Amino acid sequence: MARSAKAVPWFLFAAGGTVLSFILPVMIFTTGIAPALGLFTDALSYDTMSAFVGNWLVKLVLFGILTLACWHAAHRLRVCAHDFGIRADTAVAVILYGLATVGTATAALALVSI
Amino acid sequence: MNPRKPYVRPISKTSWFMTQGRYKVYMLHEISSLFVAIYTAILIIGLVRLGEGEAAWQGWLDAVTSPIGVIFHLIAFVFALIHTTSWFKAVPQAMRIQRGEEIVPGKLIVGAHYGVLAAVSLFVLILAGVA
Repeated sequence: MARSAKAVPWFLFAAGGTVLSFILPVMIFTTGIAPALGLFTDALSYDTMSAFVGNWLVKLVLFGILTLACWHAAHRLRVCAHDFGIRADTAVAVILYGLATVGTATAALALVSI
Repeated sequence: MNPRKPYVRPISKTSWFMTQGRYKVYMLHEISSLFVAIYTAILIIGLVRLGEGEAAWQGWLDAVTSPIGVIFHLIAFVFALIHTTSWFKAVPQAMRIQRGEEIVPGKLIVGAHYGVLAAVSLFVLILAGVA
């Protein structure tokens, strides 16, 4: 049987889609909508957030979510590009998976520095 | 030249999905990935800013609570819900669970997913409210 590299991005897409479907709505609410409503001001303060993200378990969970989100979105946007009539799939794949790599690396560096 | 002159149904490469309702729904949940990508970038930038100190973090919070930030997050929230509901809808097709002779009905699997969604959401909200 011919070996295909497709399994790797597809696994990340599927795992990412599953994890995101559970965590994304509440995360967007907590970090994106609640602050504007004046909610969770203590939790989102610099001191609390630094201490929270300083925990290695939180770092690990955040890194997992962000990595899966990057690769899930990259793979799905690649399909989207095709759906919108862009047929330069190799270029699209290089750009999107490249961005996912940059995102993953930036997240890792940021988490290590906190 | 092809002497057969076969009929090729004209289909737009860029707007084919506007022709049928279910194609539009398909595109709607595919496009959710764009908002996932932008939101993920915002979060990663937030972590970078958090590492840079209190003023940088406050700047990120100010950007998130700016009118553009709020509008983006509201749209992203709606697309996150579209992602969740469409993903859960597809789960019974991807995951067949057999118990003894019977195959566990899809409704039960989807229901369990919504149960976990509620539990995870509640956990994060309690974490944010108590921390």
